[in-house]
Amino acid sequence: MIQNKLSRRLSAGVALMLCAGMMTIGSSVVASAAPKTPGVTAKLITIGATEPVTGIASPGYSDVSRGANAVFKYVSAKGGVNGRKIKYIIKDDCYGTPGFNCTGVPNTASQTHALLSAHIFATVGSLGTPTQDSVRTLLKQNHVPQLFVASGSRDWNNPHQYPGLFGWQTSYNEEGKIFAQYINATYPKDNVCYLGQGDDFGADGLAGLLAGGVSPADTALYNVGALVVSQGASVAPTVARFQSDKCTVVVLDTIPGATDAVFGAALKLGYAPHWIISSVGSDPVTVDAPFASLPFPDPEIGAVSFSYLPASTSTNVWVGWMRKVLLADKTDFPNFTSTSPITGNMAYGISYAVSFLEAVKATGKNLTRATLLKTMTTHTFAQTPALTALRYTANNHQGLSGGYLVTVTSATSTTALDGQVYVTDSSTTGAVKKVSAVKASIPAWLK
Amino acid sequence: MNLVRAGRSNVLWLLVAIIGVVVAFVATPKTSDGVAISVLFLAIVVSVAGLSSSSFRQGHPVMARAAKVLVVTCATLFATFFFSETTNFNLATGAAMSVTLVGLSLLTGISGQISLGNGAFMGVGAFVMAMWANHHATTPIVLALLIAIAGGAVVGLLLGLPATRLRGPYLAGMTLAFAVAFDAILNYFNSWTGGDGGLQLPHSTDPPRWLLRLFSHGVSSLTANTLWLTDITVVATAVAFFFMANLFASRVGRAMRLVRDNEVGAELVGVNLARTRVLAFVVSSSYAALGGALWTLINNSATPATYSFALSIVILSVLVIGGIGTIPGALIGGLIYAYSTNVIAWFTARTGLNPQGNLASQLNGIIFGGLLIVTMMFAPRGVAGLYRTFRRRPVVKGRDVTPPVTETYAEA
Amino acid sequence: MDAFLTSRIISDVLGGMTNGMIYGLVALSLVLVWRSTGILNFAQGAMPMFAVYVGMVALGHYFGYWVCAAIALLAGFVIGAGTERILVRPLYGKSEINPIVVMVGFLTVLEAVAAAIWSSVPRGLPSPFSPVDYRLGGQPFAVSPFSLYEIITALVVMAAIAMLFRYTNLGLQLRASALAPEVSRLLGVRVNRMLTLGWTLSTGVGTITAILVSSNFFTGLTPQVMDGIFAFGFIAAAVGGLDSPIGSIVAGVVMGIILQFVGDYVNSNAIILAALGILIVSLMARPNGLFTPVRTRRV
Repeated sequence: MIQNKLSRRLSAGVALMLCAGMMTIGSSVVASAAPKTPGVTAKLITIGATEPVTGIASPGYSDVSRGANAVFKYVSAKGGVNGRKIKYIIKDDCYGTPGFNCTGVPNTASQTHALLSAHIFATVGSLGTPTQDSVRTLLKQNHVPQLFVASGSRDWNNPHQYPGLFGWQTSYNEEGKIFAQYINATYPKDNVCYLGQGDDFGADGLAGLLAGGVSPADTALYNVGALVVSQGASVAPTVARFQSDKCTVVVLDTIPGATDAVFGAALKLGYAPHWIISSVGSDPVTVDAPFASLPFPDPEIGAVSFSYLPASTSTNVWVGWMRKVLLADKTDFPNFTSTSPITGNMAYGISYAVSFLEAVKATGKNLTRATLLKTMTTHTFAQTPALTALRYTANNHQGLSGGYLVTVTSATSTTALDGQVYVTDSSTTGAVKKVSAVKASIPAWLK
Repeated sequence: MNLVRAGRSNVLWLLVAIIGVVVAFVATPKTSDGVAISVLFLAIVVSVAGLSSSSFRQGHPVMARAAKVLVVTCATLFATFFFSETTNFNLATGAAMSVTLVGLSLLTGISGQISLGNGAFMGVGAFVMAMWANHHATTPIVLALLIAIAGGAVVGLLLGLPATRLRGPYLAGMTLAFAVAFDAILNYFNSWTGGDGGLQLPHSTDPPRWLLRLFSHGVSSLTANTLWLTDITVVATAVAFFFMANLFASRVGRAMRLVRDNEVGAELVGVNLARTRVLAFVVSSSYAALGGALWTLINNSATPATYSFALSIVILSVLVIGGIGTIPGALIGGLIYAYSTNVIAWFTARTGLNPQGNLASQLNGIIFGGLLIVTMMFAPRGVAGLYRTFRRRPVVKGRDVTPPVTETYAEA
Repeated sequence: MDAFLTSRIISDVLGGMTNGMIYGLVALSLVLVWRSTGILNFAQGAMPMFAVYVGMVALGHYFGYWVCAAIALLAGFVIGAGTERILVRPLYGKSEINPIVVMVGFLTVLEAVAAAIWSSVPRGLPSPFSPVDYRLGGQPFAVSPFSLYEIITALVVMAAIAMLFRYTNLGLQLRASALAPEVSRLLGVRVNRMLTLGWTLSTGVGTITAILVSSNFFTGLTPQVMDGIFAFGFIAAAVGGLDSPIGSIVAGVVMGIILQFVGDYVNSNAIILAALGILIVSLMARPNGLFTPVRTRRV
């Protein structure tokens, strides 16, 4: 008995001492110092992004980062920028939606942590609004710039709270205002109906329409989860309602899957209004795929959409350059030929990559996070393939602020409607102004 | 300490320790990780071996458990100071998951109620935590976690009450419907839950000043933050496991097993069927809520997409592979969850598959699904069960006082 | 009359009925498996999906729609029989959770393998029936040639299964094997073969459902195509009672109609919430399904 008690007390005592010792030793450990400017050496810049490489958002969107990577590979093969090549680490976050369709623990936070431990210089072109919202604080704490987030939300325009965070594309809000201007000019007397996604995409887009002076007769917001569970059927009652409201103009702030569902429902009902579709969900190659084998003409033909990049059928010199870059990348675009369509996603990725390279080039040899961020707010990005100038200020990190209207002319391409470029801002009162397109020219160091 | 014990079990512990150290060095990217993991392993082995002495366990089971948990926790906390941020993050993710798993282990293994909805319960805890933090930012973490647990308990009660009358497939159906509907429920209250984008915690969770002052050396902000969150998670996990271990061995646990195996007998002995079942449900949902709340802390955000039906499937899968109805099974399951993608990615790189190709992106599903089938058909008690079967000591009358191997619900 | 038929209410009833037939078919296949082998088949959506993919391969070789459908159906039979013999046979008599977990694992593997081989990009399975609604007096009437095809096919399948069970010897053997396997064996019924047949039939019904769903042009065929429908079909079976084929079909159709109304008059979010509500309410009233005969418990 005594033996047991003793050994018991001894065991407990040793355990407690072990614990105390561990805590004391452990707590006085100093973390190793991080390198001066992570991700930058004399010869190499390491950047990263979290992208939906696999999973429900991947068809289409996976081309965005691949397009960007094609540019980095192309430029690195020619010697890089200021003597530095670019390494682009893409981590699959599956758009943050778990499921066995995904390769990874589909968590943007854990993939961002992985990028951080790879000591990247910045994230460039990470995709998604909810995904990038969730890592804003993490990146800010680690002083990692979060550049050119692939989303049109206004969340990226918060310079005082997140000085290292920058958007890139024209915001949903601005797009809505430009649509409103088009509707007021072309269909002043028609009933307009609006369907948007039930998050800031739809909320901002609708706000833009209203700010532009269009009051829809009927509005609805759809939920992505319900759409997936019902295989697209959940928007059918809304479309039927729009038809009975006698709307002859319908504005869609929808992702491609939802655009398809709407077209399907409309076909079924024999409903053919004038469609106006956000740039997010109008890419013809993606949207028209399900209808390809059917004996109907493509329902998207004739729809009007918006683009801040030159349409793939235009004669803009950038289009030719994009084709050159894509043809050179045989790993990610093995089946790309000189006649393959350049999808909106590819063009998007290529364009933000050029913006990044332009910023790096303008910063010069002394490349640190601080100097790059300074360049971002002082430089005018005249060489980006976009239609409007890319300009950030200390108070505005949104990105592009305009574009032109396009119309879908075939199952694979869009054409500029009239070539007039518009710019505006995200405020409710800022007007929509006509400007001329940025003169497109490819800088020598990119040719 | 009864460290020296003759016979087979000593050799086994030694073998486990050696394998652990070797794996630690081979599998970790940084040497410091390897050192830390080895120390951790050795400490755990030593303490578990020593404190497992049967007389200690028989005489004062609760204290023995407490001592074991204390040593393992301290060893883990010690290790976290040396781990890289990514490892800490993965450790925390896996630990929070194992809290959920141990709750499901109780519900399905011990109490015999199939639940396909524990991913949604995690979501309840996650969003309660996020919503509370957004409205009352100054609540201490422990209190916030308790609130999240309470939220999980309430929802567990709401679902557990109708569940008492349901058997097998109907119970599975109800929990499945809840898991599928959870996203819609969140969306219904989207002014509170932030819609598709979810909620972020208003500011990052920093360690309290008084704790930081204890350490005179400065630590870089990232390390402190992830380290701090990992340590909170480890402590919370330890406390949760301690309570669960006691529950498994207590009268309530025995009553749950009895209700599972022999309803009529249980009623004859005076056990209230409905109350026992509901209790299991509530405990399981509370644990899942704790797991979700810890995830919110670690990730600084809560999004609806994370807590979909697919998560419930993953939870069930890793628990089955780890060992349903056991406690070590939950830990193993958590480990599998945290590291499966790393292992699969390593495997993909080795075999030269295109990591963005069709096959590589589906490997996760193929392997998990396959493991699930194989485990259930050939080793229904999972890894933990296999180990138990291997380790089972012959019962010698009057002398050996090892408690009998806990009957898991899944029988071989 | 025309105005009434094209009104919103009738449109919802008709649309809901079409969906409900699909849910009823899924529920029927679940009941078939349950009644013949006592197992809840979670892969009831994934197995037919795989069969349709196999049929799609034929489409790639320029065979017509009906040939592909026939190949898919054949593949469905094979998959059903194979699953029973290889995966399910060893699990009879064991605890309840084993087959559920195995089937969940099987579901995961099937979806992953389908995506690995054929990728997740939606594929069209163009049916020869137009999805454009008929028009009555210039307004759309919520029935199209395609939805008529769906409804008629569903009714034919349900009737065929009913007749098989009620009026044929085979049906009698199937029912006997499920109810009293030992006695049936003594009477010369090949019980094992009946169990396999139960699964084969069930997967056949599932494959027909999957063909109908995949032919719906604006969803197409993806590895996840049957997931949502399986969830609703499962709920219908649970509401109607896993032991009652007629009950689950009726539950499916009624649920389809109710959910269509909910989706139209409330919003799309509320659809799954309503389904959950229906399930909870009906299970509280009748824990074994609305149409299952109440069994008294013997102590």
